[in-house]
Amino acid sequence: MEGLLELEGLTRRFGALTALDGLSFSVPAGQVVGFLGPNGAGKTTTMRAVFGLTDLDAGRVKWNGAAVGQAERRRFGYMPEERGLYPAMLVGEQLEYLGRLHAMSAHDAAAATKAWLERLGVADRAGSKVEALSHGNQQRVQLAAALVHGPELLVLDEPLAGLDPTGIDAIGDVLVEQARAGCCVLFSSHQLDQVEDLCEVVTIIDHGRLVVTGRVDDLATSGARRLVVRVAGDRDASWACDIAGVNVSEVDGGAARLVLDESVDSDSVLRAAMGAGRVTEFVFERRRLSEVFREALA
Amino acid sequence: MNGPIILVILAVIVALRVWLRRRRRSTRSQSWAPAGLALLKGAVGLVAAREVRERFRGKVFRVGTLLILLVVAGAIVVPVLNSGKSRPQRVGVVGALPAPLRAAVVASATSVGTTVHLVPEADADAAHGDLRSGRIDLAIVDGRELIVDKAIGTVTSTTAQLALSVSKNLGLAEAVESAGLSATQVAELAGAKALPVKSLQPGTAKGAAQTTSTVGLILVFIMLTQYNTWILIGVMEEKSSRVVEVLLAAMRPVQLLAGKVLGIGLVAFAQAALVVAFALGLAEAVGSDLLRGTAPLVLVSTLVWLVLGYAFYCWVYAAAGSMAERQDQVQSLAVPLSLPIIFGYVMALIAAGSGSSSTFFKVLAYLPPTAPFAMPVLVGLGAVTWWEFAASAVVSIVCTVGMARLASSVYRRAILRTGRRVQLRELFSRMA
Repeated sequence: MEGLLELEGLTRRFGALTALDGLSFSVPAGQVVGFLGPNGAGKTTTMRAVFGLTDLDAGRVKWNGAAVGQAERRRFGYMPEERGLYPAMLVGEQLEYLGRLHAMSAHDAAAATKAWLERLGVADRAGSKVEALSHGNQQRVQLAAALVHGPELLVLDEPLAGLDPTGIDAIGDVLVEQARAGCCVLFSSHQLDQVEDLCEVVTIIDHGRLVVTGRVDDLATSGARRLVVRVAGDRDASWACDIAGVNVSEVDGGAARLVLDESVDSDSVLRAAMGAGRVTEFVFERRRLSEVFREALA
Repeated sequence: MNGPIILVILAVIVALRVWLRRRRRSTRSQSWAPAGLALLKGAVGLVAAREVRERFRGKVFRVGTLLILLVVAGAIVVPVLNSGKSRPQRVGVVGALPAPLRAAVVASATSVGTTVHLVPEADADAAHGDLRSGRIDLAIVDGRELIVDKAIGTVTSTTAQLALSVSKNLGLAEAVESAGLSATQVAELAGAKALPVKSLQPGTAKGAAQTTSTVGLILVFIMLTQYNTWILIGVMEEKSSRVVEVLLAAMRPVQLLAGKVLGIGLVAFAQAALVVAFALGLAEAVGSDLLRGTAPLVLVSTLVWLVLGYAFYCWVYAAAGSMAERQDQVQSLAVPLSLPIIFGYVMALIAAGSGSSSTFFKVLAYLPPTAPFAMPVLVGLGAVTWWEFAASAVVSIVCTVGMARLASSVYRRAILRTGRRVQLRELFSRMA
């Protein structure tokens, strides 16, 4: 089930607004790819373009090197941002229906529905109407709707929005499992730091353009070193402001986040901190994705 | 007479309820695709099957069907109860009633459209008692006196008409007798025939055909309005719930649209077929005029135009539904769309009621938006030939094809545009 989704030069304008501006990136199989960017960056438009739900002014969507058509799309799974299920339809019947629309036999659709509802812990709600479910359970059913036909590509628009930590873990586990099984998984989020643990690769966009893409580990460890230093009784990290080559990125509840230039020796920072008081924390930190994003734009 | 009719109605209602409940249980437990739609492969068949299943399950459909059946039952049963035709008038006879007078009574009954059953009464008191208890409708005492239970006010009831006619004929018989005419002369007088009356303008259609076309009109109106509203709201809800994005990721817009229109159409025709079968069965059971004269023709043409009317309007409503995603936006679309339907309906009701058709009304019978109402009425009035009927149907089919193409094009452009209501202008400026 190896596949490769390629987006080439996607451009979409809505009147004066340019939602996508020559956006190109690819989604390989076997990894969870986080598709990140602030609100209005063009994430939803990109995902809709994969399913032909928005017209493109320019650009192409390719699957395994060929243009995507209706037959290919039937092997994709989609979870739209604003969700999309019949509110008054029974959960089980709805999933079977969607399975059959994706060319499954009635028997296979029923079996897959049962399996996914069990896997996501909502098997007892198969006979309920969707509208009777809690937000978290609706989200699980929505995910099941994207998965029921065993798609080769999974495109999920903000699948974690509004979920509690248990829900995030449950859905996160499924995404990782799908990727391990050889599926292409692309999911979007505007909360960059929330998804750091979940995805191995991220693509960050803004104003319809690619900002940065790469492995999370590489992005987090590249660039300047970062230190978190906490000095008892110190609230504003004024001791750090005078050290040459040290930039105070933020001070949060007494913990100062420092960005060190190449030339700076971390020992000199420790000495300065000890001079200000008793050092209770001194840790090297990875870059967070929000910092990667901010620095890439700077 | 009332007892059996009420029993028939109750039996049908109970049977319908049991059937629907069983159906519901069976769809829940196992196969979910209505059998007939298994033939329709692919996305269109799946969409249509879902519509059929969900609609049959809905309360609106079940309650609506029951209401329609009640209305139809009323329309069939009430005229039967009102007309005395099926019930002979019971006439009590006190003393002797010579043969010529007896013949005069029978002839009077025929002239007012009923039959008589003569009941011998012992004396005037016994006749009075039977009149009061309702065992007899009219008493004749010694061939010279007529007695009814209540004073005759209006002459609408069969009994009143019969009493007036009998009194006139008996009076005439008495006069003939006192004039001392010969047997031949009496026979000649008795054989007198009424002169035919010529009219300058054709008469108006009355009776079963008229009732059928009026009831048919009401049904076509109710069903077109109901099923088109389902399409409008159904399309709007798919858009507003965003389920359309999931669906269109797997199929083309035209497939979703066609499946929806087909599925709801099948529900409509299933309901129409049930209503017609019920109407025919009930008419047979109570001996209604529905099965006589031109009424069956009117019934068939009403069904044909229900199909043609639905086929024409369903596309319009689907396209409108794709332009809205909130209830208030739907309202602003539904009102102008319903105007031609209401106009056609009212014009047809007027024509069916007056029993005559104007040239303007005949024109309406050729325009696809109003033809579903106007044409069956013309059939009921006997004011249309088969080829005129066929020509109007062809016009409607051609326009329906054009409408379907236009509506698919609007639907495809509007269904994925969210936010404010889509304006037609925007869609067509993009089409250019």
